[in-house]
Amino acid sequence: MSNSKIPVTIDIDLEDLIPGFLTNRGKDLGTLRNALECSDFPVMQSIGHSLKGVGGGYGFDRMSEIGAAIENAARIKNVEQLKELIENYSDYLTRVEVRFE
Amino acid sequence: MTTKSNPYRILVVDDDKDILLLLSKWLTDDGFDVVIAASGEEALDRLNIDEPRLVITDLFMGEMSGMDLLARIHAENPLLPVIMLSGNAQIPDAVKATHMGSSAFLTKPVKQAEILDQVKRALRISPERQQQNPIASEIIYKSKPMEELIELAQMVADSDITVFISGATGTGKEILAKAIHKASPRRDHPFVAVNCGAIPEQLLESELFGHEKGAFTGANQKHEGLFKSADKGTLFLDEIGDMPLSLQVKLLRVLQDLEVRPVGSTRSYPIDVRIISATHRDLDAVVKEGEFREDLYYRLKVVPLHMLSLAERREDIPLLAGHFLQKHHNIGSKKQKHFSPDAMDYMIQAPWPGNVRQLINVVDLCATLSRTETITLNLVQHALQDEPCNLQTLKDAKQEFERNYLISVLKITNGHVANAAKIAGKNRTEFYKLLGQHNIDTADFRSEKNPLTSKNLNV
Ligand SMILES: Nc1ncnc2c1ncn2[C@@H]1O[C@H](COP(=O)(O)OP(=O)(O)O)[C@@H](O)[C@H]1O
Ligand SMILES: [Mg+2]
Repeated sequence: MSNSKIPVTIDIDLEDLIPGFLTNRGKDLGTLRNALECSDFPVMQSIGHSLKGVGGGYGFDRMSEIGAAIENAARIKNVEQLKELIENYSDYLTRVEVRFE
Repeated sequence: MTTKSNPYRILVVDDDKDILLLLSKWLTDDGFDVVIAASGEEALDRLNIDEPRLVITDLFMGEMSGMDLLARIHAENPLLPVIMLSGNAQIPDAVKATHMGSSAFLTKPVKQAEILDQVKRALRISPERQQQNPIASEIIYKSKPMEELIELAQMVADSDITVFISGATGTGKEILAKAIHKASPRRDHPFVAVNCGAIPEQLLESELFGHEKGAFTGANQKHEGLFKSADKGTLFLDEIGDMPLSLQVKLLRVLQDLEVRPVGSTRSYPIDVRIISATHRDLDAVVKEGEFREDLYYRLKVVPLHMLSLAERREDIPLLAGHFLQKHHNIGSKKQKHFSPDAMDYMIQAPWPGNVRQLINVVDLCATLSRTETITLNLVQHALQDEPCNLQTLKDAKQEFERNYLISVLKITNGHVANAAKIAGKNRTEFYKLLGQHNIDTADFRSEKNPLTSKNLNV
């Protein structure tokens, strides 16, 4: 995986909300990893679902896409896919770079 | 906190804190006053305290779902607009939500412009909503209670919310149902009316849901059914109070699943119809008697509208009489007639058991019979006497006959149920059931009591 940044442009009005938002997404990542560890599919499905719902609203469209994929993979209990998606999500969170406009 | 300048307070309900923050931000930036709740239960508490003008709720939440919340909100306040947000774009949910009266159904992630647009539509503060099809164009009234009713009908017209119209025969239930359809976005699709009391039980099912060729004897052709004919339009279930219990179960299932399975078919298909129902019966009482399913009743009367009898809104009589006279005149082509003042006064005070329908008949009769331009008091009095007002419905007549019959049989047998049942050609269980339905107590007929003076009898 590359180390380059992923630039995302966010509405300047949301500037105050973004730090808290990203902290929560970091927590989600932790929960996802734990859930993967003990094969807790309902939890992964639910977090995927909420990522899908919340990401795009704030302007992180890719986050919604990953969330939807996680929700789906958890529903069909595809562990391999989930492993990969959760790593994608982790990678996305480390590389995302917010610009306000 | 409340800002004085803005009257619109919005309650946002979601178990995801980041969604709450985001929606609050968008809405407050646009000048709305926002209160939030993290669950359906909390939302119900907030409703009474904050009295919002609009609710936005998530569909999937912990204990109480958005759909449950919608039902609870509308049980108390059917006109409070509710916008649903869902993580999944599932059509059945969306359809169900709109039938239950949600103003809009949006899929997350939701965009700022989209939500603000829907909020303004629901609150009727967007410009395009102002130029509306007025529901009142064909319904004549001036009384205050009718005005309020029409206003209510106007408000519910442009959603898919299920409407239930009560009121005596001839008060205008059907014309109101039609007007709601015409003022709704479904106006270019069919309005299909069916009288549930007039069609025999066995036929009604296939009439409503359709049947396959050969589904039963006589089904020589496939029949699509009224739900299908009303596709994208409105289905008006008139005299729903007369629908047989066996069919009520089936109708309930259709309204729950929004799917119809034709008689004799193995497959169901989804339906897209708005339901308006009406009855002249006191359905609360019919439910208590066990002749109408309570669960179905609740599903139908999401928005209950009650048509007042003509005697409860006498101010409307002159206007209506004038209107029907004008109509009569347009059909014939002689000189326009009018009522003498004392004739009009008489009409204003008449009892009108047959309501507007009776008024139309009386006006037509007077206009036809009057040889002078002025319709006299005398003629109106005659017309009101001769007019065979308010025939009973077949069902009511049958009920009355059945009750009188049972009473006669019990009198003859001195309240001996086995003998009475034998005469009636029923087994005892069936006979007891009938007695129960008519609230008849056999003790009143036993010989020690004189049946003819018993108070329970109103023969
Ligand atoms: N407010 C009204 N203005 C004009 N016509 C009316 C009004 N109310 C009832 N009517 C007419 O009276 C008749 C009976 O009304 P209808 O809707 O069939 O009553 P219901 O369904 O309650 O028995 C119809 O011809 C209808 O068009
Ligand atoms: Mg009618």
